[in-house]
Amino acid sequence: MNEKLVNLMADLKEKETIALVRELIDGGADPGGILDDARSAMELVGKRFEKCEYFIPDLMMAGEILKGISEIIRPLLTKGDASTKKGKVLIGTVAGDIHDIGKDIVTFMLDVSGFDVLDLGIDVPPEVFVEKAREFQPRVVGLSGFLTLAFDSMKKTVDALEQAGLRDNVKIMIGGGQIDDEVRKYVHADAYGKDAVAGVQLCREWIGG
Amino acid sequence: MTVREDREKLYKEREKRISDAVSLKKPDRVPIGLLVHYYANRMMGISNKDAITDYSLCLKAFRDLTLKLKLDLAPTPYPLLPAKPCALLGLTQYRLPGYGLDDNASHQYVEKEYMLEEEYDEFLANPEGFAVRKIWPRIATAFEPLAGLPPIYMMLEARGLVMGGGTLAGMPVYSDLLKTLLEFRKEASSYNAAVSQYTTEMAELGFPLLCSAGARTPFDFLSDFLRGIKGSSTDMYRVPEKLLKAIDILTPACYQTGLNIAKRSGNPRVLVTLHRGAGGFMSDGQFSKFYWPGLKKVLLALVDAGLTPMVFLEGDYTPRLEYLAELPRGKVVGHFEHVDLRKAKKIIGDMICFWGNVSAQALIVGKPEQVRDEVRNLIDTFGDNGGLIIDGSVGIPDEAKPENLEAMMDAVFKYGVY
Repeated sequence: MNEKLVNLMADLKEKETIALVRELIDGGADPGGILDDARSAMELVGKRFEKCEYFIPDLMMAGEILKGISEIIRPLLTKGDASTKKGKVLIGTVAGDIHDIGKDIVTFMLDVSGFDVLDLGIDVPPEVFVEKAREFQPRVVGLSGFLTLAFDSMKKTVDALEQAGLRDNVKIMIGGGQIDDEVRKYVHADAYGKDAVAGVQLCREWIGG
Repeated sequence: MTVREDREKLYKEREKRISDAVSLKKPDRVPIGLLVHYYANRMMGISNKDAITDYSLCLKAFRDLTLKLKLDLAPTPYPLLPAKPCALLGLTQYRLPGYGLDDNASHQYVEKEYMLEEEYDEFLANPEGFAVRKIWPRIATAFEPLAGLPPIYMMLEARGLVMGGGTLAGMPVYSDLLKTLLEFRKEASSYNAAVSQYTTEMAELGFPLLCSAGARTPFDFLSDFLRGIKGSSTDMYRVPEKLLKAIDILTPACYQTGLNIAKRSGNPRVLVTLHRGAGGFMSDGQFSKFYWPGLKKVLLALVDAGLTPMVFLEGDYTPRLEYLAELPRGKVVGHFEHVDLRKAKKIIGDMICFWGNVSAQALIVGKPEQVRDEVRNLIDTFGDNGGLIIDGSVGIPDEAKPENLEAMMDAVFKYGVY
């Protein structure tokens, strides 16, 4: 592990990080190793977010640096990413709601925590959740919603999964600005997460890792 | 006393009730001030689409709600975007119920990087020109021709104005645009007329309007409408000086219009909505550098003009209470969504009036007893000095149960008499 690289990236020093990656590549370093270091740095970023040292702007910046590194590294990689993931999580913002910030943070945190996340985006109708749950076979389904109208959309999505006979195969977690345990009961979800860290914790409990 | 005199008296009583609470003096009773979006029309069986299309239907619903619940203040209808003027401009920045969204959805903002990072210099050098030539064509299809608008300062003398102006106005793209703008003017004025009629009618019925105008927060203005959450985040790292300069330039734009409207209307209350400064969104360091200075300037400019900023604090503001305590005493109202009530009482309870915050969950899926308990707790916590106005945590959610809203009102009438 290149500690200097990991620390520069985790400290969100974009220019220095990218410069070092180029220097390492020019010096013949293994691109796979650099990607592993980038992953370690993202884990550190995730931990700092959990500890409330980092916030949304910092996560956004970390994501941008990772994108910059990937752009340099990806063309050099010969085979696919062989690392094993902990388990599958399907996530999306429910129908009628186009807010993505909260969902994106949960996706980011699950991803850096080693879960295999399929993000369906925003305004996702119940039937799309059902279709993708069939294809992707997740262990956990995460429903996000910021608006209060999301309560009903979440309920409809859970009902649709139930009717499709998929409800028993998955754990369902919900989250968003107005969500609490009362809403969870109303929606018939298994749990709610008050923030992204809680969402990751739920997946760890349900899937392990 | 005639009906009219009676209503005038009630108007004054209600106005005093709210202004006493704002200035932390005990009124006769805890006032109620509701932020309402689509709840009113839903209660009357009017779809959200119809509410934003037929203004008279929508405003009648606001009026009926005010009378039915015996509110202290008539809700301000401006959170709703009028559909026809938006459609005429081909507005793409919002999605509206019935126009790209379900008939009963609420309108939603389409967030994008409407201004790119590399465009900062252009914006900073000429914000007016940038708004007209770059932003308008990106947010409304009718304005697309403006992307090719030649420099207007070429027409700064009479001859250039007559010749150049004539040529420009004669070009098909611009003459079409002028026609569209005439149509737009007609629709926009009919909306404005409906709102002003509502305001007059409510005043005649004895109800002051909750707020007369709105103002914005400089950081949110930039983050929402120009750079997006991602752009404004990376700007803090990549181009912090430009970000600060842009915030500075936007600051007067954030309050000047609202200040003028409020002054003209005679209603001192100006709604200022905040979202990205909440705890959990940015660090304390980022807040103190990029968010608070601009926001404080806006709030103080309004206070200096004799107005009352009604600040809607979206998200959790517990970590920001110390900043709010810097504001002048009894001049500002803080509408809280989530906050540690005890800490709020301790830190800002003797500085600014607390507005809120019966939880949206209780109003939508809870039972009336829960709502009543929440109101009682708010009155017990903040009522001692009069600095309390009751509302839901996000205003009144569109999906609130009527019996829960009634329980909220009843609880105020029962426990809120000083």
